[in-house]
Amino acid sequence: MKEQLLALQKACLDAIKKADSSNALQEIEVKYLGRKGELTAILRGVKDLPDAQKPIVGKLSNEVKTVLEEALENKSKELEKEELNKQLQDDTFDITIPGPDRSLGHVHPLSQVQHQVEKIFNSMGFMIMDGPEVESEYYNFEGLNIPAWHPARDMQDTFFIKGKHDKKHGRMVLRTHTSPVQVRTMEKYGAPLRVIVPGRTFRYEATDASHDTTFYQVEGFMIDKNISIAHLKGVLAQFLSSLFGKEVTVRIRPGYFPFVEPGLEVDFSCLICGGKGCRVCKYTGWVEFMGAGMIHENVLKAGGIDPKKWQGWAFGFGLTRLVMMRHGIDDIRLLLGGDLRFINQF
Amino acid sequence: MYISLNWIKDFVPLKKGIDPRTLGELITVHTAEVEGYTDLADRFKHIVVGKIESIASHPNADKLTVTQTKVGSKTHQIVCGADNIYEGMYAPVALPGAQVKWHGEGDLVELKPAKLRGVKSEGMLCAGEEIGLENKEDRIYDLKGLDVKPGMPLADVFKKNDIVFEIDNKSLTHRPDLWGHYGMAREIAAITDNTLNKLKPDVHIPTKGESPAIEVKDYTLCPRYCGLIINNITVEESPQWLQDRLLAVGYRPISNIVDITNYVMAELGQPLHAFDKNFIKEGIVVRRAKKKEKITTLDGQKRELDDTMLVIADHKKPVAIAGVMGGENSEINDETTSIIIESANFNPESIRTTSTKLGLRTEAVQRFEKSLDPILAETALQRTAELILQVCPDANIAGPMTDKKKLSLEEIIIPLNTEKVSSKIGAPITQKECIDILTSLEFTVKKVSDKRLEVKVPSFRATKDIDIEDDLVEEIVRIYGYDKVKATLPDLPITPPMANVERSRKHYARSLLSYGFGLSEIYTYSFYGKQELDNCLMNDDHHLQLENYLSHDQTHLRTTLVPNLLKNIAENLRFYPSVRVYEVGRTYKENGNYFPNEEKWIAGAVALSPDDEKKAFLEIKSIATTFMERFSRYPVTVKKTKTVPPYAHPSRIGGLFVHGKELGRIFEVHPQVLAHWNIEGPVAFFELNFTQLAGIEEPLLQYEPLPKFPGLEIDVSVVIDAKKTVADVAKEIQKADKKLIKTISLFDIYEGEHIEKGKKALAYRILLQADDRTLTDEEMASIQQKIFKNLKGIGGVIRGA
Repeated sequence: MKEQLLALQKACLDAIKKADSSNALQEIEVKYLGRKGELTAILRGVKDLPDAQKPIVGKLSNEVKTVLEEALENKSKELEKEELNKQLQDDTFDITIPGPDRSLGHVHPLSQVQHQVEKIFNSMGFMIMDGPEVESEYYNFEGLNIPAWHPARDMQDTFFIKGKHDKKHGRMVLRTHTSPVQVRTMEKYGAPLRVIVPGRTFRYEATDASHDTTFYQVEGFMIDKNISIAHLKGVLAQFLSSLFGKEVTVRIRPGYFPFVEPGLEVDFSCLICGGKGCRVCKYTGWVEFMGAGMIHENVLKAGGIDPKKWQGWAFGFGLTRLVMMRHGIDDIRLLLGGDLRFINQF
Repeated sequence: MYISLNWIKDFVPLKKGIDPRTLGELITVHTAEVEGYTDLADRFKHIVVGKIESIASHPNADKLTVTQTKVGSKTHQIVCGADNIYEGMYAPVALPGAQVKWHGEGDLVELKPAKLRGVKSEGMLCAGEEIGLENKEDRIYDLKGLDVKPGMPLADVFKKNDIVFEIDNKSLTHRPDLWGHYGMAREIAAITDNTLNKLKPDVHIPTKGESPAIEVKDYTLCPRYCGLIINNITVEESPQWLQDRLLAVGYRPISNIVDITNYVMAELGQPLHAFDKNFIKEGIVVRRAKKKEKITTLDGQKRELDDTMLVIADHKKPVAIAGVMGGENSEINDETTSIIIESANFNPESIRTTSTKLGLRTEAVQRFEKSLDPILAETALQRTAELILQVCPDANIAGPMTDKKKLSLEEIIIPLNTEKVSSKIGAPITQKECIDILTSLEFTVKKVSDKRLEVKVPSFRATKDIDIEDDLVEEIVRIYGYDKVKATLPDLPITPPMANVERSRKHYARSLLSYGFGLSEIYTYSFYGKQELDNCLMNDDHHLQLENYLSHDQTHLRTTLVPNLLKNIAENLRFYPSVRVYEVGRTYKENGNYFPNEEKWIAGAVALSPDDEKKAFLEIKSIATTFMERFSRYPVTVKKTKTVPPYAHPSRIGGLFVHGKELGRIFEVHPQVLAHWNIEGPVAFFELNFTQLAGIEEPLLQYEPLPKFPGLEIDVSVVIDAKKTVADVAKEIQKADKKLIKTISLFDIYEGEHIEKGKKALAYRILLQADDRTLTDEEMASIQQKIFKNLKGIGGVIRGA
């Protein structure tokens, strides 16, 4: 009897092992454990056994039953899992279907770069100043040591406002640079100063791919007791390295602007070729970037600052040009053109 | 301006074979920007002297011949179409690789070996114009009489071995002394550590004889006028060396006398003029022009003058516009034998004004307007006389120079603190270095103490260029070398800078509008024109107008951002079915004072397709109010406003209020305005005074405890007169219990066939909640009854009740 039970257990376990579907498993269960199943038959026959054998066979039969039930349960879970897996594998869901529209708007590239510039200088202790865009001749020119005969005063460069005149201020202009804010800030706060002035500027200039009546500049200046050209070099190298995210070197050479003395032109090492010379830098290794210099004593005086006690430098660069350079924009008119096909790229 | 290296070498003993790129960079970093340089020999690369050994007829073309031409050790077969060639002739041969201009016209092309009508040709016999030589004839250039050998580079034959630098004129704005080779040579000597060979004209000017009669009537405009008569000259072509120099730096040779005046201008920077003495009646008068006085200038143009302009005249007529251009009536010609040479100093501002008024910018103007050294006038005259006597050996100087002048030649002496020099440059520059540099630039330096110098400015730097200590700092640092100044960071306190709240909040506003509400930021111009005003039903009240403008849509300064945004929307609607944009910008309003009101505004717009008629207003309303509430952290209300701009729909407009203060408005654009811009769908705007909005101080948010007891929701649906507003109805509901009614949300509006005409159905979901207990059914029923009563009180009929 014992042998018969063990043989049955083995045969059933083998069958379970081989079963490859829930149906097959069901049949096995019926065959062995069903009402007319083989094990059931044996269990039923226990009552006819001699008394001595009854408990032994009965116990063994129940043990076999438990083993088989467990095996069936496990196999059933296994098969279910396999079947689910197969079902999931066969799914035809198309992940390339576009999702519902959640598009964001766009911030103008000039705003983005201006913000970045402001953050860098702010972190170096520079305050950010604003000034009027409609400006007086005094602040735009005289205060900056640009006397009436200077070429920059010609009608060809400056927009004038009709019918505006003042004894001190002269005619009214659209500021041709952000520099007037130098004198305004000096008047307001005195020395020392660390300031940048990003802003909109205007030139009376025929429009083409590289000229527009309206563009953006960033003015920067620093005034303290011992501020030098070496500091200008240092601060600008820091700024440019931060801006471009890589080490940038700065080259200074002589230049002429009436509101600074010495006057400087500032170039930075070409980011494309690293200074070896390429098409972008016209094979010079340097990219022309800004005008700068030590603030002219007449400008300090105009701002009420004593040039014997204080000294400092100023620089100005084209934010518009920087944006064009960074993003490879070849037509300046796109920036104020407001074409969303352009704006939506940023 | 062009600078010839050979010319520079007349004055500076530069090392042989100095690399032009290196020299160019030195000039750029020490003196003025070099935009580039040209090696004149490049133009003649692969062009050599050839000797025609034999000429045979071409088998397939009767106008062509086949030559065997010796070029160095080799002999090339060259096909030629010219009829002036002969056996034994020396001629320029362009070899493959040379740049030639076919028949002197069009672009340069590279020559390649070719077959001409079936016959191989390894080069080209050239006419002068084909290789850039001054020879107008369309015939092969005959090198007869020149010292040439086959194979000799043509550049050597014509001494085209010069390097020419192009200097950026802008970087010479303040340096009148650099507008000639001699001044540039002085700089190059200083930066290459060489000694300048001083220019000393070798000419004897007689102390007796005929001097020109000169009368200067206006010394303010003409502080100095020197004149000299030279007789017995022969006007002819200049010698080759003189032509070569002028051609190298961009002047066209004309005749020896004119060429020499140009030569001296290119060398010393002093413009000169030569008059034919026969045409000068009685003598020269330097005076202001008479009103409407006329003169025909050398360029053949008849010009009308005014009384602010200075002319050079004789006793009958004007013969030149002083410092600008000579007149035709006294021009040097082939018959001229006696000349008066003018070398003068004119007032720079006057020259500039005259030039601008006449629209005439010349080489002379460019120099005079920079303030020339008056001493230079005399030196230049001597140098001119020297060259004329050299080029015309029979010529003679008639007598002493006439020199009319009223000059205040005060010496400029500047005290210099050499410690200050180091402090401003940020490099340890010694007093000795300062002295050496200044001396190399011909400043006279006197040592006063270990940190003090007294520096005398040379005359050629003393005209507006150098008059303060910082000017000397510049001289020292640029020669010392900006590259030697090490980048350092200033040693300053780390106090944070004063915040510009408005600026930083502007960036925050942009993030909200772009990344929160999906609007795109555009920039438009600060001006618009009559058309834009008309389109927006606006007049030009409070507008500033431009005196000078470039186009008709840029005549008025904007008082609102709306017109340019609308124009922009109309353009963008060509490419997009709907447009959502905003701009942060300034407006400028005339206020009767000198400075106008400049305000910062934000305007945003939603433009939808025509079938979304009501949606635009509602969308802009939720954008504007949500934006403002998040931005300011205060509740915003939309109320009737008295400020209705002409471009707004008169009844679809509401004011935006925070704390009872009106900061802007939302509105739909007036249908007529939309029609003017050809916009079909609805466009709604918000316009916000950003300065005021950003000026609201953000409250520090305080936490509110979360509700502890559950709330109850009831729905109420009411049919009411269509004229009653949603806000009116909500107010009545709220009145039922100010404390327990927490929120009232409208979830449906219905107007249409299922209800009476002139009525609308509104459905609200109302949340009731107490802070201290769970509400009972009785409390709820009581509030509901109150709500019903209140709504009935304003003529409402409760549905389903």
